Amino acid sequence: MTTRYAPPSMYRSREGVGVWEHRGKVAAVGVGHSPTERRWDERPETSVGAWSIMALRNAIADAGITPDQVDGLVIVPETTTGAFWPEDKALPQDVIEAFVQTNDPLDGIAKLSVDWLLKNMPELTNINYSLYAPVCMSNALNVAAQVVGDGLAHTVLVLKAWHNLQGRYYQGGQNAQDAIGGTSAMRSLWGAPACYGTALQFAEYCHKYNKNHDMMTPFIINSRRNGLMFPEGYWAQHRPEELTDEDYQLARWIAKPANLFDNDIPIMCAASYLFTTAERAKDMKQKPVYILNHADSDAVPRGLTPTLDEVEAECALTGRKIYEGAGITAADLSFENMYDGFTQFHQFHIEGLGYRGIGFGDALDFYQTDISIEGSNPVSPSGGNIGSGRSRFWMHTDSIQQLQGRAGGRQITGVDAEIGVSGGPMPLGGNYTVWSATPD
Amino acid sequence: MSILISFDIDGTLEIGDPPGAVTLEMVKTARAKGILTGSCSDRPMSAQRAIWKKYGIEYDFVCYKHLLPDLKKQFDAESYYHVGDRDDLDRKYAMRAGFGFFWPDEAAKNPLLL
Amino acid sequence: MKQGVIPDQFTAPFWSAANESKLVIQNCSKCDRLQHPPAQECGQCKSGTNLEWKEMSGKGRIYNYGVVHDCPIRLLQDDQPFNVAVVMLDDDPGIQMYSHLPGTPADEVPVGAEVRVVFEETANGQKVPEWKVVT
Ligand SMILES: [Zn+2]
Repeated sequence: MTTRYAPPSMYRSREGVGVWEHRGKVAAVGVGHSPTERRWDERPETSVGAWSIMALRNAIADAGITPDQVDGLVIVPETTTGAFWPEDKALPQDVIEAFVQTNDPLDGIAKLSVDWLLKNMPELTNINYSLYAPVCMSNALNVAAQVVGDGLAHTVLVLKAWHNLQGRYYQGGQNAQDAIGGTSAMRSLWGAPACYGTALQFAEYCHKYNKNHDMMTPFIINSRRNGLMFPEGYWAQHRPEELTDEDYQLARWIAKPANLFDNDIPIMCAASYLFTTAERAKDMKQKPVYILNHADSDAVPRGLTPTLDEVEAECALTGRKIYEGAGITAADLSFENMYDGFTQFHQFHIEGLGYRGIGFGDALDFYQTDISIEGSNPVSPSGGNIGSGRSRFWMHTDSIQQLQGRAGGRQITGVDAEIGVSGGPMPLGGNYTVWSATPD
Repeated sequence: MSILISFDIDGTLEIGDPPGAVTLEMVKTARAKGILTGSCSDRPMSAQRAIWKKYGIEYDFVCYKHLLPDLKKQFDAESYYHVGDRDDLDRKYAMRAGFGFFWPDEAAKNPLLL
Repeated sequence: MKQGVIPDQFTAPFWSAANESKLVIQNCSKCDRLQHPPAQECGQCKSGTNLEWKEMSGKGRIYNYGVVHDCPIRLLQDDQPFNVAVVMLDDDPGIQMYSHLPGTPADEVPVGAEVRVVFEETANGQKVPEWKVVT
């Protein structure tokens, strides 16, 4: 089976296209995760391929169906956190021997193909439709929702996995060289770390609205607290450390005004969700969570990095697209699980949504109020990437589990979990899903 | 002669992630010699305190790497040392703050810890 | 010290102009629209057939900045912390360029100030546009 990337027509990128034609007719049922690890120890059973298989099998089991009932796959083929397998390093032989290989030796180690998964999951006997989605689970969810809605497949597994290798983040490769190519030099010659663009937007935001970095503290503490109640997450599994005001406010700068704890930690992990039609979902093991809409932001900044004006305009547009297609308003949201890895754009996302009536420049004041899962205005109940490490999928798992009433310690209690929204990553360039406990 | 030694955790102490060459016994030995000891790491300061408490080791301070100059002001010692495994975050910060510097494997052989 | 630059076919005109102390930016003659970084096609009309290089005045303003304390590039780590500012060109404020703002101490950046282009040598001798605050 040849698998291609999802075509642009699958995404809901425009405003003014009305309510999603499949609103409430597609449901998420099963959730499956692998464990987490900081870096790969180069054993076969902890490879990105092995953990992908584990996440997929867990999602199937969670939905209470048999593998032969699955007829579609939507996966993200890119698995890197920024780490690439060194060209001069031999691949571990025991890993190669542990799996059925495709013609790409890095398949299942530093990337993932549908072909590799099907060769190594013989129980998936009825897959007749598959698509790739680029980079993020958020993107793959949009594609899978459309695939099921359009009837291209009726029971679809969605997968995103991450590999992280030995060595320090982004310190090898081009960054260690004495000279680089002319095209990448245009941007990278100045040594700005990954969080720099977001830090710039945050600096402009603070200047415009008279806010400061310390005002982020309640959001950081709340996110880590929620993350420590996420048994699938990295911090809960490996280093159950809460954060205090002092911990955050005194931390070293990476690119001022972004500090160490404004950045998420790169990890290895995999997650999968089982999507199916609302009709079929009724007979499965878990309570169905209905998809009301999916929306895509495809804006491109004019310059090297988005300006605050561009960010605010795009987040507002994304908010309008999200609500229009779902046929809801901001007042219908029980909770929000917008992306946070970097912390300093979470406020752009929720201001664009007008979450709890806030507008641009309001979020940091909103963070000073009760934003806990016990209150009526829960912010990032998943804890996001700050709470559980860089997966860009905790917010989706949490949204599904909140609406199924099985978010455990993270279950929101100050408001009934009826409708939630999750997605990201960037203010310019992201994918969003609206989830509901009921189909209408 | 009063001495202060600051230990990085990850890649430096045996309990770090990854584990380093400096054992907790060495830290205890240094303390028994009257050396001021504590940690200086990227881990949250509250977590650093929790680590020392967990292993039942007294400490004089916890610190972030860029705050080594403040640590020096806080304690009146004749010599200050930092032990760490990273060139940019340990050695350079230590040098700038006027600390002596040891890599973990050097420290593990140093008479101050034995 | 900045990493050296190995011009590729696509960006060669930018880099050879820099070696002659000239700042050129890609322009779509059909849209009369500048774009940077350069691309294979115009961001507006999506055509690649009308792209040319246009010399700039070399004047700009500091739009915003961050201070880098933990840089992934080995050759720059000795210089930490350092400014990375965003300069908007007077010729078209939509065109941004990064700058270390040579001569401006870290975190003492006058946002909004006028800057002028200068050309700085990188590790392999290739020159690169940089910006200095006009005093
Ligand atoms: Zn054009």
